[in-house]
Amino acid sequence: MRYGPIIGAGALFSLACSWAALVMAPQLQLGALAPAPIPNTSDVHPALRPGLAAQGAEVYRSLGCYQCHTRQVRQDALLFGARLNDVGSNANTINLELPGSGKTNLVNLDLLIALAKARPDLGIAKVTVPPPLLADTNVVAALGQFTANLTLLKHADDKLDVVRPTSGPTVNDVVGNRPAEIFVKVAPETAESVVKLLTDSGAKAELVICNLGPDIERGWGARRSVARDFVNDTPVLLGSLRVGPDLASIGMRAPEKFAAPWKFAGTNTAAEVEHHLLVHLYNPRLLAPASTCPSAAYLFDKQKPEVRFAGEPLALPGKDAPVFPKHNARALVAYLLTQRTDVGLLEAPTPAVAKAAAPAKP
Amino acid sequence: MTTAQPSSQTACAAAPSVAEVEASCRLPVLFLAFSGAAWLCAGAVLALLASVQLYQPAFMEGCAWVTYGRLRPAAVNALTYGFALQTAFALALWLIARLGRVELVAPLGLTIAAKFWNIAVTVGVFGILAGDATGFDLLEFPLYAALPLFASYACIAAWALVTLHRRTERELYVSLWFVLAALLWFPWILSTAQGLLLGWQVPGVVQAIVAGWFGNNLLQIVLTSFTLAVLFYFVPKAVKRPLANPGLVSAGFWLLLLIGGWCGLSQLAAVPAWIPSVSGAANVLVIVPVLALLVSLWQTADGKIAESWKSNATFRFLLVAAILLLGVTLCTAVFGGHYTQFTFFATARTDIVLLGVFGLAALGALHYIVPRLTTGEDELPSEGLSDLAFWAALFGVLAVGIGFSLAGFKQAAVGASAESKFLEGAVTGVASNLKLVTVGYGAMAVAALAFLVNFGLAARRCCLDCCGGAR
Repeated sequence: MRYGPIIGAGALFSLACSWAALVMAPQLQLGALAPAPIPNTSDVHPALRPGLAAQGAEVYRSLGCYQCHTRQVRQDALLFGARLNDVGSNANTINLELPGSGKTNLVNLDLLIALAKARPDLGIAKVTVPPPLLADTNVVAALGQFTANLTLLKHADDKLDVVRPTSGPTVNDVVGNRPAEIFVKVAPETAESVVKLLTDSGAKAELVICNLGPDIERGWGARRSVARDFVNDTPVLLGSLRVGPDLASIGMRAPEKFAAPWKFAGTNTAAEVEHHLLVHLYNPRLLAPASTCPSAAYLFDKQKPEVRFAGEPLALPGKDAPVFPKHNARALVAYLLTQRTDVGLLEAPTPAVAKAAAPAKP
Repeated sequence: MTTAQPSSQTACAAAPSVAEVEASCRLPVLFLAFSGAAWLCAGAVLALLASVQLYQPAFMEGCAWVTYGRLRPAAVNALTYGFALQTAFALALWLIARLGRVELVAPLGLTIAAKFWNIAVTVGVFGILAGDATGFDLLEFPLYAALPLFASYACIAAWALVTLHRRTERELYVSLWFVLAALLWFPWILSTAQGLLLGWQVPGVVQAIVAGWFGNNLLQIVLTSFTLAVLFYFVPKAVKRPLANPGLVSAGFWLLLLIGGWCGLSQLAAVPAWIPSVSGAANVLVIVPVLALLVSLWQTADGKIAESWKSNATFRFLLVAAILLLGVTLCTAVFGGHYTQFTFFATARTDIVLLGVFGLAALGALHYIVPRLTTGEDELPSEGLSDLAFWAALFGVLAVGIGFSLAGFKQAAVGASAESKFLEGAVTGVASNLKLVTVGYGAMAVAALAFLVNFGLAARRCCLDCCGGAR
């Protein structure tokens, strides 16, 4: 080859291909990404960081925290589950409490049959009705229907060689203990058919999602991190090495999911999380003796600084005297507290949290 | 297309003699080579100090300037810009002058530009230590260091291209293809990345994608091309045979440029899934050009490898560099995907390409170039120091590469299962591997030091020859 320009043009063409694919195409796809509105609120995710947290992002970059910590939660699979929320009511729902007692104890007989069909591993028990109720013709009819359905269920079981356990939990127990997870981590078709079976029997059931993967099981986040989580960041410090735990949702992480065993006596308030993170910055070995995270003691004053607003001193565990966090330490902690993945997005939904069981009616 | 290196018959009558060519190279090439080796020593020491902190967190604690998060990027950037690219310029200038049979244009200007390059690297390293790092891998120099860096590069590359244009040997040998491609590729990726990251800031994760794209192009195209330029010049020379199979080389060259730029993004998580998939496929495809190029080198040297290993100090370095290039390409293709995500495995790849593939090839080439430009002999003055440089560099690269890779595999096993404890498995559990890495960086620094001393001896002898006689 005699002509340098040919090589130059070829190199330019090769580079342009790679540039178009890996620089321009991502920009076209992601460049217009905007924060997503959170349903039923006026907020968006990700929200703009308040001033102190925005300064903390600079401290995070300047100290090179991203060299050891990632901010990307990984997810292996998305599976589904079926959750029973309420028994609902239909013609075959009977109240086991005596009329006039003011109490209700609804039993949806159709639901018991439907649930037994969905879960062959559970037994099904007879429903015992207080004798006075047997005077009610509706109850008698419902019970008659139930007995017929039980016979049909038995036939179906025999056909499929299903042997139901005679002891252990029964569908009656499951229904009585709501909200109940009927299935977890199953394929979408299975979960959907079960939810349909249950809702057809009059019950209130919902399809739930299960985000799976080691990162999520470790409690590092409720869902995977996606591009939208970073639209407000500059520079975007995703991190590429985990010598420390992932920080994608350190602001909302359950206390026991921190690297070090760490449990609050009482409730987990923002002030306590802040205190924990400040102590960790001052000396990580105070909280996790084996931690290899470098101490950021230079972000703290040993003596009360001669400024007007020195802030509250930081009480340290052990016998050490309290220290005074500098502005940068507080900013860094404020930044860490804005790290959260608890908001579900269209492209990365979070599991709906089960509503606490309704208190038993008196 | 040539099958052999240019012979003296084809050179035109106006061609300068070898002595004249070498005289024009002397000042800039020796300056770049010496500063490059000095940065190798400094960068290895910085990386050594950083690696100690990974298992001894109390080491140098309490000072923000030397905390791990600043020391490590300072070390990597010192090795990349101070050592690798700077040495690459020395090799490129020398190859252009030798293969093009032309005197370097503006040797003094090149030396001044190289001086500015060194000042910019120094400013950048101190900028990182002071906390001004940009936060993007391999691009951490703050803007006030990056701009002078780019300006001095522009001068060096412009004069190199003018020299190439004035060559008297019109036929471009394979080495010059690689040099030309790398010299053009680097400013394009650097300006794109700096423009999109530090100037007009692209939004969100596109920044991480652009930074990953830049880092990969720097390692996979620019530094690998300089390595291959060195291999294709010195291997046929060492075995005294023409280059075998030039068609294969040509195919390998174009395929490397076409595919190489697509690798390197296979370990990003918070991006659309097609990006890591495309990159993972490119990681596998890039085996083809690398194999094509290395097979052609092997065909050239086949049968004379053992003999050249014993007789030629440069050849030993080149052989190991070629094996490492094959190894790192295969390892990245096989393991460089989801499994080793977020582990030291990626660190191992960066360090093997910087110190092993490029580093060893460059040190080998300098063991040939430096004595030619100083004493005029074939070998550096001290054979013992040459041996020390080779064995220390070989041990250092293997220790760093194996240490980081094993640590990466351990971390990958921990990351794959939520049952294994993170702190015990992935952090304190890899301390033994990281100690090996520390020793490796120490050996790298020793190798650089041995070469520098040898360089100093050669320069001293050269000065004595010139001035001693007059005295």
